[in-house]
Amino acid sequence: MISKQILLVLILCALTITTLTACSKPSTPPSMGSLLGDNAAGYTKVDKSTPIVFPKDHLSHDDFRQEWWYLTANLETDEGEQLGLQWTQFRVALSPKKSPEKAAKKTESHTKLTDSDWASNQIFMTHAAVTTKTSHLAEERWSRRHPRLADVSTDPLTIKIDDWQWTGTGADLFPATLKVDARQFSYRLTLETSAPYQLQGEQGYSIKSADASVASHYYSQPFIQVSGTVAIDGVDHKVSGDAWLDREWSSQFLNKTQAGWDWFALRLEGGSTLMLFQLRGQDKPSFYSGRRMFADGSGRNIASKDIQLQVANWHEIDSVSYPVAWNISIPSENIDIRIEALNPDARVPLSISYWEGPVIVSGSHRGEGYMELTGYEH
Amino acid sequence: MSNTKLIRMTRLCLEVFFAHYRQAPLQAGAISIGIILAVTLLIGVRTTNENAIQSYSSATELLSQQAKWSVTPPLGSKRLDENLYFDMRADGFSNSLPVLQGVASDSNGKRWRIQGSDLMAALTSFPASVSASASQVNSEARAKTGGGLFSVNIPIGDILSGAPLVLTSKSLAEQISQDGDFVLGGVKISVIALDDASNLGSDILMDISLAQRILKRPNELSYIALFSDVSNNKSHLERLIGNRGMLIESDNGDGLTALTESFHLNLTAMSLLAFVVGLFIAYNGVRYSLLKRQRLLTQLQQQGIAKAPLMLALCIELLLLVIVGSIIGFMLGLQLSHWLQPMVSVTLEQLYGAKIFPGHWQWSWLFQAIGLTFLAALAASASLFIQLIRQPLAGNSGHFTQQKSANKIYRYLLFIAITLGFVASILLPFSQDYRYTMLLLGLVVIAIPLALPWSLAFMVNQLLKVTPKGLLHYQVAETKELIAPLSLAMMAMLLALTANISMNTLVGSFESTLKNWLDARLHAELYIRPASSQMAEVESFLKRHKEVDALYKQWYLSSKQDKLPINIVTRDKLSLAETTVFKETVENMWPAFFANKLVLISEPLAIKLNLGLGDGIDLQALPDNHFTVGGVFYDYGNPYGEVIISPETWQANGFPDTPMSLAINVTGDTDKFKQELQQAFSIPDAMIFSQEKIKQQAIIMFKRTFSITQVLNTLTLLVAAIGLFSACFMLTQARMAPMARLYTMGVNRRQLTTLVFGQMLIIVLFTCLVALPTGAILGYLLINKITLQAFGWSIAMEWDWFAYGQVVLLALVSSLLAVAFPLYMQTKQPLISSLQREVI
Repeated sequence: MISKQILLVLILCALTITTLTACSKPSTPPSMGSLLGDNAAGYTKVDKSTPIVFPKDHLSHDDFRQEWWYLTANLETDEGEQLGLQWTQFRVALSPKKSPEKAAKKTESHTKLTDSDWASNQIFMTHAAVTTKTSHLAEERWSRRHPRLADVSTDPLTIKIDDWQWTGTGADLFPATLKVDARQFSYRLTLETSAPYQLQGEQGYSIKSADASVASHYYSQPFIQVSGTVAIDGVDHKVSGDAWLDREWSSQFLNKTQAGWDWFALRLEGGSTLMLFQLRGQDKPSFYSGRRMFADGSGRNIASKDIQLQVANWHEIDSVSYPVAWNISIPSENIDIRIEALNPDARVPLSISYWEGPVIVSGSHRGEGYMELTGYEH
Repeated sequence: MSNTKLIRMTRLCLEVFFAHYRQAPLQAGAISIGIILAVTLLIGVRTTNENAIQSYSSATELLSQQAKWSVTPPLGSKRLDENLYFDMRADGFSNSLPVLQGVASDSNGKRWRIQGSDLMAALTSFPASVSASASQVNSEARAKTGGGLFSVNIPIGDILSGAPLVLTSKSLAEQISQDGDFVLGGVKISVIALDDASNLGSDILMDISLAQRILKRPNELSYIALFSDVSNNKSHLERLIGNRGMLIESDNGDGLTALTESFHLNLTAMSLLAFVVGLFIAYNGVRYSLLKRQRLLTQLQQQGIAKAPLMLALCIELLLLVIVGSIIGFMLGLQLSHWLQPMVSVTLEQLYGAKIFPGHWQWSWLFQAIGLTFLAALAASASLFIQLIRQPLAGNSGHFTQQKSANKIYRYLLFIAITLGFVASILLPFSQDYRYTMLLLGLVVIAIPLALPWSLAFMVNQLLKVTPKGLLHYQVAETKELIAPLSLAMMAMLLALTANISMNTLVGSFESTLKNWLDARLHAELYIRPASSQMAEVESFLKRHKEVDALYKQWYLSSKQDKLPINIVTRDKLSLAETTVFKETVENMWPAFFANKLVLISEPLAIKLNLGLGDGIDLQALPDNHFTVGGVFYDYGNPYGEVIISPETWQANGFPDTPMSLAINVTGDTDKFKQELQQAFSIPDAMIFSQEKIKQQAIIMFKRTFSITQVLNTLTLLVAAIGLFSACFMLTQARMAPMARLYTMGVNRRQLTTLVFGQMLIIVLFTCLVALPTGAILGYLLINKITLQAFGWSIAMEWDWFAYGQVVLLALVSSLLAVAFPLYMQTKQPLISSLQREVI
């Protein structure tokens, strides 16, 4: 999940870094490491002692550099076809300043920038995708924050960009409707859950490196029941199935030695779910993290040393190879499974390019889920 | 002959020619000058034109993006409510860009054009797609279009937050920085310079958050650009827009191109004319150098060099001269364009609101210029080369036969001229399109100089009949001999003179027509255009004041008719009746007009839409009505077509009630009243005009329209003068020997000088005499055909003797200088060297 981040930051850095560092040597693109090292300055840092509070933390955290609302779903159509679905709204702060609306209230009128709704240092990018065995469609939307264009607001809790919109209930994310209209596909989903939110890591403080130098605030809702319709190329399909929501925010994501990540959200037979990610080191060994979760809200964190991940198969898309099949072994949880992509061509070729698609689980447990692979495009 | 031998012989010939030119650099110079001048003007105008035309298409949208559709304010209002934009985005029209443009003043009162848009939307308004190829195209498009903004250091976060940061082209940024602190609309601004290639032109680009603040237009937009093709859900979008705006398909600058087409055609025609004049000079140079080398060429042939290598060598020589001349001309042409462009930009920006960006030139132009010049020069010199081949080896042909063949050629040329003139005069009455008319005019332009040698010979013969015997008779008789060597230069001169005279006639006539029209059109003393919010107050203020004798009102709105931009206008009844200057009307026009059956259309619109009295017209802006054209009125200098409807029709269609402008007559001191009015309502100077000022501005604008044409015209005349100078110069040098002979026979220096000057005077004056009717004919065609068809302006032709005198004087001065210089040189040489020239 983190991988988008890097690339996103890379792109945005081309825009933002300029005032800070690039004036001296504008032609050299900043390396990923220096970029992520330097640029967190001024943004709020992830703090272990900050607890996650609902429903406040469903909303955006503008003082952190990046944030997302990330939904993946494994559905089945009335015709019995398997179908994967993704919806992600990213938020990025382009500068560490507090948003001008807030600043304006505190300062004298002549020092405030402007009280226009247009003025905002926050931008949103939303990705939507639908994946079947034979096709993979993805589209994106970009917008600055403007209450009428793209925003995250409460009562009812709304996460929107243009006509793509998540509408929750009151201050809570659920029950919700999700509506996306892209050119090649559209979907209208009803999302319901009775399970408590799952805090990842230590009470929502999720470490992303062995030395704990990088972390994020991270919570999930892995037990969502979905029903609705998905239209592909103008043909409507009634769908139902399960979905998974991830919420994550931070100001720095990778440290200098990290290249990319592989992230798994798996629903195993017997009612448990498994969140698993690997941050691949450039030279150093990878950092692993995971959590086995249950619908009653309970769960067990899985330590890095207990996780074994092995690539089982590579697949090349436009001369980039992605590991689309994996062998995962977690002896402490008695898990020994193989993961295979429903559609190995599920690369998301948008402003930021990465692999994201539904997977089938076999082995010690059967099941399904979603996989994200980033940092392979070089 | 084997190839190697051919090459060897050709090289030998070239070496000999090279040696010859080292002896006589003037000859090579004369050829090169002709080519240089021809190419300079051709390239200069071409660069200017292409640059302007290219600017139209890229000006449509900033960041080089082309919006396929746009939503503009509804008829009668200037801006959109930004809520419309939000509604469109919320309805899924995502690839759209809100734009607010306007003019803001800095602290020195200088006005700047502002382009405000959602820069985030501008950077990301690309359709993203999933297929690999599409995404590739997409990323390429992004690299190309977004590159301008991504590649430089822009603190986009601050900009989107409403920080006072603006983007301008580098040249504009330099201009701004000269003035020190830059304060726009009360906001202190920092400028970020972008590369000039980012197509910002003279606009200041900023985020919409800042633009709305500086322009003091919160929640308003000028238009919305749509980057995706909405033709499939057009009706849905139109329902969404309702009466809040209008959905318009963009023409990618075609409208502007159409509007300025005749202007550019004018320039192109002028540059081609100059090119032809330049070629005349080059041809004259080639001819002269061949004449001087006649003996040399014969000798070469007598030495055993075959005709093939000789011809090849001559062609290569010509090619080399063309290449050198073209390269120099190309560079000078780019420089010329650099000087012309501000002039063109001013005209186009003032007249048509077009933005002109810094230009680019292409190497291909140079190669085209070389190719064109070489072909033209080769075609022109072909007859000379062929003549050379046919020339008997036994020596020079006699003088008499030369003269005889010259007479034959004159008659032959005259025949061609008459044929061309005949064809043109038959076809001209049928031509309705100024492009065809221009083509036919081209025939006339070619015919005029072709008729010159015969006309000159004829006139000199007539003169000879009345000249007393003696030296004077000899002088005139010898003038006849000079026609042949001078005819080419004189043809070029005649062409330039004719063009100049006709252009002067056109400009002079237009100016006086415009003045007369303005006198009739402007009946009030003060014209006021207050802000629409003030209009009601201003009106009641004017009604209260006793000094105001009469109050006239005007309403108008912009629309389109058959893709032409037009204004729909109405005025109060009195103004309509008093100030509309008609070309033609139907009988009893006014009653039918006020009964809402007729409309009045401007002359340019009538010509562009090919409408006449009694023709039906359905206005796009008034879809429910059907009208008949009841009158055509004169309208000068207005690039937009105009349709006048009755005030009742205006009201019946629900157009805004508030007039757009007012006009008043004042008893007493107009200036005082103007000041009073300005103070009471703080109306800016730009919004209140006295009649005098309007007239003045109209004349200024008109002069700008023609200034570039006149500059080119003068340049052509200068080129011709240089041509004449070089021809006379060479001729006089060639005549050193016969003059030395006359001197030895007892004709003194004074008499000789008078003789030579007299001869030149006769030829030049006769040429100017010929230019008089031809200039008038060309002027007549320019006024009554080209201008009428291209611009739609009827002009009463007026002859300007003073301008005619000026160009005649220029021709005389240049030719007399050309004669005086070699004569002066001769006095410094011993007589014997002049005599010896005969033998060499």
